[in-house]
Amino acid sequence: MRAVESAGLSKVYHSRHDEEPVEALKGVSIDVEKGELFTLLGPNGAGKTTFLRIISTQLLPSGGDAQVLGHSVVNAPEEVRKHIAVVPQDVATYNNFTPWEYAYYFARLRGMNSADAKEKAEEALKAVDLSDLRNRVCQTLSGGEKRRAIIASVLSSDADVLMLDEPTSGLDAVARRGVWSALRELIGRGKTILLTTHMMEEAEMISDRLAIVNRGVVVACGRPDEIKALVKEKFRVVINGDFKPLSSYGETARLGDRNIVYLKSQDEAIDLLKDSLKMNLRAEASPVTLEDVFVRLVGGLNNNGNQ
Amino acid sequence: MGISKIVKDTLLIAWIKSYPDLRRNPLMLLLLAMISAIPLFFMLMFSSGGNVVVHGMIGAMVSSVAFAGVMSGIQDISWDRYVKIREMIVAMPVHPASYALGIALAPLLISIPSLVLFGAITAYLGFLSAEILLWVVAALLTVWATMSTMGFMISTYLFKASPMLLNNLSNLLGIGFIFIPPVYFSEAQLGSLSWISIIVPTSNVAGLIRSYSGLLPLSTEILIMRWVILIIMTLTFIVLISLKSKWRED
Repeated sequence: MRAVESAGLSKVYHSRHDEEPVEALKGVSIDVEKGELFTLLGPNGAGKTTFLRIISTQLLPSGGDAQVLGHSVVNAPEEVRKHIAVVPQDVATYNNFTPWEYAYYFARLRGMNSADAKEKAEEALKAVDLSDLRNRVCQTLSGGEKRRAIIASVLSSDADVLMLDEPTSGLDAVARRGVWSALRELIGRGKTILLTTHMMEEAEMISDRLAIVNRGVVVACGRPDEIKALVKEKFRVVINGDFKPLSSYGETARLGDRNIVYLKSQDEAIDLLKDSLKMNLRAEASPVTLEDVFVRLVGGLNNNGNQ
Repeated sequence: MGISKIVKDTLLIAWIKSYPDLRRNPLMLLLLAMISAIPLFFMLMFSSGGNVVVHGMIGAMVSSVAFAGVMSGIQDISWDRYVKIREMIVAMPVHPASYALGIALAPLLISIPSLVLFGAITAYLGFLSAEILLWVVAALLTVWATMSTMGFMISTYLFKASPMLLNNLSNLLGIGFIFIPPVYFSEAQLGSLSWISIIVPTSNVAGLIRSYSGLLPLSTEILIMRWVILIIMTLTFIVLISLKSKWRED
């Protein structure tokens, strides 16, 4: 049995006014194995949050169904809710709550007794590095600390499947790493995590597998290295400046006064580096990143969402 | 989901929504008591004779619970929606009834100290005895239920409205239902218009309590009719809520 299985999930938002209905999901089928960290990666408005809200039983789909640990999100939401914990996007805190109260009371709401909830709350606060601030009210915490307090409430839940909608947005690099570390630790304990992000680095760094979603369809799905293998160019050279004809080396993307040239082989990259140096231009070669692939896959879509 | 879990979660949510606020902002209690007592000061300044203080104390008791009801039904629900805590709770093994009742119960817990204070003064003045205490508590709980369900109904039907608009609406309703009708003074002062007090839940309950306290002579038939109107009103709000409200969006 998989942790999450969605089959042909679709969602259409109807406006009250005369506006056109918005098709947020167009038959999305995704499988998430137990014990893996699966990321939905996509630009804003891609349908990631809609997918997560359907899977977490907050929203009914317009078509299709999904199972969480074998329970239908459409027909058996109460069963699904016993196994999941959710951090919504842009969730805010109660100002008079402390991180400890978040972690403790949310564990109690899941049916834990007081002793277990206290233990889980302590563990969760430690995981997000908030033990020292456990009794500070949220209104005195920074934005990142508030977010970690919310994440602690999910970590303390002991749920089998955790669903986090852009959990690290607004966090600084150190805090973000702290959350990643906590999430990976949970994977080590056999939990399943489904998260959404538009941050490539996050997706590449912590995901076991990921799906790139754009305009309500899955554009690509697999391990980060598998996704990167979807494009034929394996290397990129960033050149500070321009010389003609750069496009003869490979596909070129322009970033103001810089150019990124995508190349199929290491030899081609070395040739371009040499030519750039001859022109007295600073150049740097590296393997393509997930972001390069993402931009190419998402940017290559037409309005119908087809490649 | 078992009844015991529903009850436990209700109390837990009520505790979550009241205890941290009370603990860290105890002045809130004073503020709530003062809000309920303000009309009384005006009455003392501009009226004299009779049982102005007792009428005012009964009004303050009704005001405490009615304000709590409106506040929970509108402000707390819309705030939870705004900060997305509600989304987290929807995805938990928590029954919607636990959430609604817990939210409604929280401000009632906060209003208990001022309620006890006003009740104690009324008892000291000789108008609240042990024999009528049950009736008074029942009347107060009923108006709390009526005002809470009215608040829930408004936030259900205006679920797309901004929290700011709903906050203003909640305050307007608070003023409209608590300060304007004969809640702090006897409905007898309205003369031929005293029927108004029956159709407004707050003044209806204030009249009931005054009747039990011996301040307002009402026949048994009128007493029963007042209870029936109050209960029908509450049930109507519950039906209207159940027709529109959705735990899970579609």
